[in-house]
Amino acid sequence: MASFRLQIITPEKIFYDDEAERLIVRTTEGDMGILARHESFAGALPSGPVSIMKDGEYRIAAISSGVIKVSAEKTTIIAEAIEWADEIDIEWANRSAEEAREKMKQEKSDKELRYAELKLKRALNRISVHSGNSK
Amino acid sequence: MASSNMKDIKRRIKSVKSTMQITKAMELVASSKLRKARDKADSAKLFFDALYDTMWEITAENSTFDSIYFSGRDVKTVMLVVIAGDRGLAGGYNANVLKLAQSRIDEIKKDCSVVVIPIGKKAAEYFAKRDCRVVASYDNIAENIRMSSAKEIAAKIMAAFKNGNIDKVELIYTDYISPLVQEARNKSIIPLEKTTVKKGSNVQTSYEPSPEKLFEIIMPQYIAGVLYGSIADSFASEQAARRIAMENASDNATEMIDELSLLYNRARQSTITQEITEIVSGASSQE
Repeated sequence: MASFRLQIITPEKIFYDDEAERLIVRTTEGDMGILARHESFAGALPSGPVSIMKDGEYRIAAISSGVIKVSAEKTTIIAEAIEWADEIDIEWANRSAEEAREKMKQEKSDKELRYAELKLKRALNRISVHSGNSK
Repeated sequence: MASSNMKDIKRRIKSVKSTMQITKAMELVASSKLRKARDKADSAKLFFDALYDTMWEITAENSTFDSIYFSGRDVKTVMLVVIAGDRGLAGGYNANVLKLAQSRIDEIKKDCSVVVIPIGKKAAEYFAKRDCRVVASYDNIAENIRMSSAKEIAAKIMAAFKNGNIDKVELIYTDYISPLVQEARNKSIIPLEKTTVKKGSNVQTSYEPSPEKLFEIIMPQYIAGVLYGSIADSFASEQAARRIAMENASDNATEMIDELSLLYNRARQSTITQEITEIVSGASSQE
């Protein structure tokens, strides 16, 4: 199967820089699969799962908001944070979800509510990717 | 008299030695922190460059594209984001960046008003004492800078820009050039200069959602990325400056100890000589 170069960059490190055969991301408009020789594309990624297929095997990661750019040379994902499913600290994610829920219960300003909502989304995304229900 | 002098010198040697222990320790701490800070600044640069490229591709490929973040608004109020350290004892690091900030403020004040966001305790202290409007200040975030703190600051800046409270945003930070050279710099963040379009290829990129929406999504990340990168860079500079300052202090201490030891030995020698002279003259008077 034809492969393409995939780069996933976060502020802390280069998370992934290798060939990939297939990539499935969740954009703001819906899930999307990318194979080699995809047309040029740029899109926004909210918190969601990313599946990368290499050597016929899928690995799933949880991404917290980012941007994807597909060009002829390579595909780049610029992410604020990303973790492999098996590296997610599930206890921390659970705690973070709980905290966000608490915050949302309290009467807060719109802005704080929005932050809490985003936090909850990130946490729930991590939890769902970790437990493998992402697809 | 000579013995009290000796005691004095001995006390001074001791005090210099204990100071040297501190400066030596600080030097070591700074150099290990510098290494970490360098790694962080390097990887932040990759991230930022990728964001920057994406942003420019959007604007370059869509000639009709426009946004409030491009220049073309009368500048009445300028926001200055000043990044300095949380601690002192870093040679000229804090002084240099604050000096540049002050001269920039004086320059702007000639025809616009200025608001300041200091990042780092030293910057906050500096502007609290002066006649400046401080919108918000952030302490102790530089060492373990996280994207979330950078985004918080970015959100604040962008909200003020959108409301029309400010028309221009500039950043004062310290650029890390080498372990020996760091330079305080002034960089404009908003508005973005619309560079000459480098339309090399006829690639038609599809955007999801629209280019405008995507730009709106990238923009806060871009600003946060600029802040993150500059804070990481400044922190690396601070550590480098501190390392050099402490190295010099330790060298000076060694020199001082050498001089004092010399003095001490001389004083000791003269006491002994005097004692011998006394004994000899005492003995000769007995004969």
